[in-house]
Amino acid sequence: MKRVAIVGIGHGKFGVRSDASLRELTFEAVKACLDDAGVSLKEVDSMVTGIAGDEFSLALQPSAQVHDYIGFYPKPNFRVEGACATGSMALRTGWMNVASGLADLVLVVGVEKMTEVPTSVATEIMGRGGDSMWEYPFGTTFPGYYAMMANAHMAEYGTTEEQMAMVAVKNHYYGHLNPFAHMQKEVTLEKALTSFTVAHPLKLFDCSLITDGAAAVLLASEERAKTISTKPVWIAGLGLATDTMRITERESLTSIAASREAARIAYQMAGVGPADIDVATVHDCFTIAEIVAYEDLGFCEKGEGGKLIEAKETYVDGRTPVNVDGGLKSKGHPLGATGVSMAIEITKQLRGEAGQRQVKDAEIGLTHNVGGTGQVAAVHIFRRE
Amino acid sequence: MEFKDFSLAFSQTKVGRFAKDLAEGRIMMTVCRGCGKKYYPPRADCSHCMGSEMEWKPIKGEGSLVTFTKIYVPPEHFALRQPLMPFSTVQFEPCPIGILEVEEGLRIMGWMPKMEIQKIRVGMKLKASPQILPDGKVTIVLEAM
Repeated sequence: MKRVAIVGIGHGKFGVRSDASLRELTFEAVKACLDDAGVSLKEVDSMVTGIAGDEFSLALQPSAQVHDYIGFYPKPNFRVEGACATGSMALRTGWMNVASGLADLVLVVGVEKMTEVPTSVATEIMGRGGDSMWEYPFGTTFPGYYAMMANAHMAEYGTTEEQMAMVAVKNHYYGHLNPFAHMQKEVTLEKALTSFTVAHPLKLFDCSLITDGAAAVLLASEERAKTISTKPVWIAGLGLATDTMRITERESLTSIAASREAARIAYQMAGVGPADIDVATVHDCFTIAEIVAYEDLGFCEKGEGGKLIEAKETYVDGRTPVNVDGGLKSKGHPLGATGVSMAIEITKQLRGEAGQRQVKDAEIGLTHNVGGTGQVAAVHIFRRE
Repeated sequence: MEFKDFSLAFSQTKVGRFAKDLAEGRIMMTVCRGCGKKYYPPRADCSHCMGSEMEWKPIKGEGSLVTFTKIYVPPEHFALRQPLMPFSTVQFEPCPIGILEVEEGLRIMGWMPKMEIQKIRVGMKLKASPQILPDGKVTIVLEAM
């Protein structure tokens, strides 16, 4: 297998982008990515596009809109889908293209245009990320699923609503320092705790945002990477795992088994462990999800996630800085773009280009991206050398 | 009674009788004749032994609550779209839902219409029962025994 590096990154502005269509959002990210790498699109061998929802994009093959608009034809473009983990699955597919020797230079694009449909419709589409045949009849929504995990975690480990709100406070603090974030606003603990209930016990500030956005990275083989970038970031480990469709059939409601398995595989492949991770982006679609991720990724013991955020150990100067780009919570969660955006943040951190949010001397980074309620999870590990 | 009267969206499945059984007062599971694995929701095929010979059996719906929530921001299908009169408002009061474990590994999702959210606790003993709704559809509720 060939070694694969990220040699270019491009992040569009996340937000309610009523000024731009899916294809136009993608153009912004692709242009920025090619500029960052100093490469022209003509040099790229193939492309992978991550878009989660046909329903959001109101099209059957939205990825064709993307390769058409940036002028990438007749070369291959693969569309990948894995709900909220779509972006990481696109990155993995791009990695497979390069590692196999099929291509030397691959553009990985993640994009989602979520606000073209009304919020209630978006809520319905995402709710169907659960089992649309057996669970949807009970009015389930995405916040509803994670609320059920939160109530189980609170009952089993004594995790509190305050601890969940502390995740929101942290992620909004870093989001306000990230110019690409959807909500560049700090929130206080009190404001987070008194916001309206979306699904008991989760309140507005426990939930990530419905966001439009695009992100792109350029992957290169070792030979090409050395000619393109002086600061390549290497993909050192990849783990992907799956679980049951229905949360009623999960072995646990306080842990995401697919995350644990994906992490195990990725750590093993990279030859590192949780203590070696200098900086991480984890799937905080809800504040409880970040707390569960701390535990599933081994940043703390099972049940201790609430205490980890309470001790501020996941801030930039803590033991394991997590989501110091604002996370899904404040940066926003355009489904297909999220996993790619996570890889961009880790690349910036390992290049030393994260500005006020920089983790000192970061060498090893991790991304963790969950699809749906845990039907699929991807963990990737990146290294500077 | 069609399956769609339970699922709201789907009518075509090999386990369509589930809705009819609900309407007649029974929550049914399927049990694999090959390996004995029990399935709820019912399945026509066994992913454990890849067999497709299934037996339908009623579930005794008593068990303990694994988790719950109350969804205040509903999906489009369940949302009230318009107040009925000008200058009037509609107070939307949603219904909690929960997951009941009736035996090892067998869990049933249901509405909890008679429960106040602040009084619901993980571990409560409840019973799952079918219920026919005013619009003729059929669903499952979790109630005190």
